[in-house]
Amino acid sequence: MLVLSRRPGESIVIGGQVVVTIIEVRGGQVRVGIDAPRSVEVHREEVYRQVARENVAAVESAGADPSLLRQAVRPAKPDDAQPAGEPPAS
Amino acid sequence: MTYPERPTRVREQQVSEVSADRVLEFPDGIPGFPGYERFVLVEELGDGVFQRLQSLDDPDLAMYVCSPWLFFPDYAPEVGPAEQEDLALQRAEDALVFCPVTIDPAAMRIYVNLLGPFVVNAETRRGRQLVLAGSDYPTRAPVDLTSA
Repeated sequence: MLVLSRRPGESIVIGGQVVVTIIEVRGGQVRVGIDAPRSVEVHREEVYRQVARENVAAVESAGADPSLLRQAVRPAKPDDAQPAGEPPAS
Repeated sequence: MTYPERPTRVREQQVSEVSADRVLEFPDGIPGFPGYERFVLVEELGDGVFQRLQSLDDPDLAMYVCSPWLFFPDYAPEVGPAEQEDLALQRAEDALVFCPVTIDPAAMRIYVNLLGPFVVNAETRRGRQLVLAGSDYPTRAPVDLTSA
């Protein structure tokens, strides 16, 4: 891992298109500003990992017996006048 | 081409409108499975509720998905301006939304991942999995089951 020291107001340029700026350092917290093209996803790592972990769990569980899916109960939709395709599993 | 500057709340659309053999492109891959970019939705169970999101690059990579609104009618994920622009989504109706489903046979539970919905431009079939940081949506929203 590349380790750089930066002061508030200073930046790091990544790949020519992403600029990470240290906004403020206070009380053990660092505020970071990120300028990136809209096609570049920026996530807090812990939230991203949470979704990644659940994807792995979903893929692992898809190899198992899907019969539980047939027991899923859809909530009633009182405002749904027209029949919406399949009836709820029963 | 202009894009809205505000997040748009996407609305319900039947996942089954996408036929099984149409390829969905996820240019960024999906979290946990980088590099897998091409998927199809397969109506495997024939119930119109759960589909299988199947990788075209790896037969072992698949997960069940469903329209979140079938089970969580009040679900209101926000697609930010960056994602809208990236997916060229101009109207909420153009978005096809489905969420990962995790089956836990031991606990007899089914969960829908509301934190990480897939959003696909129904026209271009280009999509990505959003990470709704800042929302309170869980990765494991339990679905009610009939007692077998």
